Amino acid sequence: MLKAARLYVRFVDGFNRGLGRIIMWGIFVMAAILLWSSVSKTFFSPSLWTLEVAQFAMVAYYVLGGPYSIQLGSNVRMDLFYADWSLKKKAWFDAFTVLLLLFYLGVLLYGALNSFAYSLGHFTQEPFVFYRDLIVAFVTGGPEAASEILGFVERSPTSWRPYVWPIKLVMIIGFFLMLLQVFAEFLKDIARIKGETI
Amino acid sequence: MSYEMIALLMFSSMMLMLLTGQRVFGAIGGIASIAAIMLWGTGGGDIPFSAAMKLMKWYPLLTLPMFIFMGYVLSETKIADDLYKMFHVWMGPINGGLAIGTILLMVLISAMNGLSVAGMAIGATIALPELLKRKYDKRMVTGVIQAGSSLGILVPPSVVLVLYAMIARAPVGQLWLAGAVPGLMMAAMFIVYIAIRCRIQPELGPALSEDERDVSRGEKYRLLLAGLLPLIIFAMMMVPFVMGKTSLVEASAVGALTALIAAVLKRRMTLAILVLCLKNTLAISCMFMWIILAALGFGAVFDGLGAVKAIESLFTEQLGLSPWMILILMQLSFLVMGTFLDDTAMLVIVAPLYVPLVGSLDLGMPRGDILIWYGVLYTITTQIAYMTPPFGYNLFLMRAMAPKSITMRDIYGSITPFVLVMILALVIVMVFPQIALWLPNLIYGK
Amino acid sequence: APAVLSQEPIKWRLQTYAGGALGEQVTKPMVDYVNNASNGELQIELFYADQIVPTGELFQALQRGTIDAVHSDDDSMASPTPLRQFGGYFPFATKHILDVPVLFNQYGLADIWRSEYEKVGVAWISAAGQDPCNFNTKKEIKSVSDLEGLKLYTFPTAGRFLSKFGVVPVSIPYEDAEVAVQTGELDGMAWSGITEDYTVGWADVTDYFLTNNISGAWIGSWFVNQKRWADLPAHLQQLVLAATEAGHTYRNQWYWGGEARLRAKGDKLQLRTVPAAEWAQVEDAAKDFWKEIAAEGELQAKIISIFQEYNDVINQAGPPYNFG
Ligand code: NA
Ligand code: NA
Repeated sequence: MLKAARLYVRFVDGFNRGLGRIIMWGIFVMAAILLWSSVSKTFFSPSLWTLEVAQFAMVAYYVLGGPYSIQLGSNVRMDLFYADWSLKKKAWFDAFTVLLLLFYLGVLLYGALNSFAYSLGHFTQEPFVFYRDLIVAFVTGGPEAASEILGFVERSPTSWRPYVWPIKLVMIIGFFLMLLQVFAEFLKDIARIKGETI
Repeated sequence: MSYEMIALLMFSSMMLMLLTGQRVFGAIGGIASIAAIMLWGTGGGDIPFSAAMKLMKWYPLLTLPMFIFMGYVLSETKIADDLYKMFHVWMGPINGGLAIGTILLMVLISAMNGLSVAGMAIGATIALPELLKRKYDKRMVTGVIQAGSSLGILVPPSVVLVLYAMIARAPVGQLWLAGAVPGLMMAAMFIVYIAIRCRIQPELGPALSEDERDVSRGEKYRLLLAGLLPLIIFAMMMVPFVMGKTSLVEASAVGALTALIAAVLKRRMTLAILVLCLKNTLAISCMFMWIILAALGFGAVFDGLGAVKAIESLFTEQLGLSPWMILILMQLSFLVMGTFLDDTAMLVIVAPLYVPLVGSLDLGMPRGDILIWYGVLYTITTQIAYMTPPFGYNLFLMRAMAPKSITMRDIYGSITPFVLVMILALVIVMVFPQIALWLPNLIYGK
Repeated sequence: APAVLSQEPIKWRLQTYAGGALGEQVTKPMVDYVNNASNGELQIELFYADQIVPTGELFQALQRGTIDAVHSDDDSMASPTPLRQFGGYFPFATKHILDVPVLFNQYGLADIWRSEYEKVGVAWISAAGQDPCNFNTKKEIKSVSDLEGLKLYTFPTAGRFLSKFGVVPVSIPYEDAEVAVQTGELDGMAWSGITEDYTVGWADVTDYFLTNNISGAWIGSWFVNQKRWADLPAHLQQLVLAATEAGHTYRNQWYWGGEARLRAKGDKLQLRTVPAAEWAQVEDAAKDFWKEIAAEGELQAKIISIFQEYNDVINQAGPPYNFG
């Protein structure tokens, strides 16, 4: 049991750290888009795409970078009392209150799944049936059969009109990784209560 | 359930969860999610996510990682060393001169970044040891650095005002300009306080000794050149902006890259430092963004369940307060909350309730002016919040960065006179709104 | 205990595309009418632009029941139907505010709208016209070539059309547009007539108003979540319809009077006009745009043919139906 937990924590920590170390360079991607935006409007005709691409980059930056920021312990806590507690007491409290955080992330993920299904043209009932149909169609009939399942594919309400599903997919991945990371923190708390380290 | 009941329930359970020490965004987002699912009815569970789409559309938020990165580049590369030496040499001969020089240093640092972290880091690593070595009083010194660095959020550019602008839907450019004069005024008030105090008690800030003052005239003027660096960075950022070549958001990218290039040219940037800056920028930016995400969700649920209406009617109808009373009450509540709440949490939770109310107050000013002026008042209370125990960023940073000889008691004791000066500044700007409004009206007036 | 148990009121959340200042005029009258006349049986709570969900997400929120009713144009709310581009300002589709109800009620658009929205799970209630789409800008527009490079806040479809003349359409939240002009993110708006410019404060941040328009009336609708509409007792459905019509009447007068008065007496915006002969090239470009859209599908072709039919009629009729 402990071994499995250790393996899980090591894997999740490792993956999210690696991802975070890549994502942190994203600040240069955002800066480059913004610079191109001002250069292009000064010297050529302004680009239609820069504003939205910069927004997408920002979302990817904070959503995919989120799990690593949890690892770094940078998320503010109100430590009026918390700061003075022993490690064990902190772990006890965290082990309970982290459930609230997990719940929040679950709700976020659920909303993202709904919204992603919507962006592929599905709006009735729960999204999971739709995802199942989509996957079944893809496996049995290939991309063509899968595209039969799709409805009106959502585009952003701007003149550039990009499809919005890619950024929603990024959010799904980010929220899911965040869930995995917070669950790893939960396991660490449990271990700390038992006097072990993971 | 009545609106008042919902407001009370959501707010108190959130405060309770915050007190457990769980991550702020988890506490806010969790309570919002539970309320949305239990009280909303159909489709409530989608609201926390729709906040993510809202956040994505808010373009000025892109300035946040840019200014955070800029601050880390400035502090981690020790690019400010020369600046400090400049003030050291020029201001050293007077009583309290080094402390005054440190305030001036903080003003320059403030003009180059949008938070107080960079000022704290530079102050604690460069100025603090030098001042202690010169027998400056440790309480005076820690107070100077904490108070001076808090100017980072009032003197433009300011991340706090960007966040305020998002909530008040007020123009960031005007807000930044509105912070400039009050920021300089507050710096001047700090200096006056230091000068008077050190005149009465010279042992708090002794003048430099004869041999330490022995710096050649050439060296003195060479050091003055160091003062150009912040001017260059500031100009690179602001000139294209004022000329309309870059938007505000683009200007922040220019500022971040200019700081980076300056550090590289001064041969202070190594790969290790760059990675450290990138890592810290990601960590702090994510912290901000996730809190905003959770708070936007909380705000939408709170509003949709009718709780905002309950609060509005409490202030305006049930209590029957005059506009000025409401304003003063709000500032007092911010000051109280600021002692134990993180400022971002304070802004995203409470400001959405206060700002619409403030905008509609009849204070004999146009609504646009009120929101800008109030942004400055809010920022000053935030500065105070940074320094007041038990919860304050500058307190924590001081605790983390100061040498062992400085105790927690010293740090708590050091802030009292400066907080009093800041409260005085707050009152002055409250009574004379023109101190804040004069510059933005001059530049943007139609 | 009281002899008659009063029934719990049905509660709706309605979000409008408009911000607070404008919503007060374009949406709130209908809400007040329902709340005052329903004898406590139906209470609508009004929320302004982006208050609960961002405008671009309104449709999804409506389908899933997060919000019960919506007032918006099809274009801004990113309607997942081919009708989307005809909402808001479809270039040169209309001349006056009354053209919209005529097109819907006499020329068959209402039936098309009702059935298309039924397919995507939303009850379409009613459409109405609003103000024309003029320009208010910081830079002076005196000829068509002045449009080149202007960053304008405008409706998606209008933006697509205007980009043919070098306009850079910018999409941001409605409430942020004023600020974006102040920070230089925008040069102005191609969003409304002059009444709205004064009402929401845009007249305070821009200098010029171009009297030429790219469409004579905004086309927007009222929508309700399908299930919520079906669940509503018939007499309350009638009440909602009557309230919506009353709101239309109020708005017709507010805009019609406002446009004239503020052009003539307003002191915040200077009027500019591109000579009609020159502006004709914009109108001609719209004809090509219509052809492009008609080629997209059967339904689009049908709607375009209705616009053409109606435009033929009013051109034959002459002033005041057209501009002569
Ligand atoms: Na600053
Ligand atoms: Na505090």
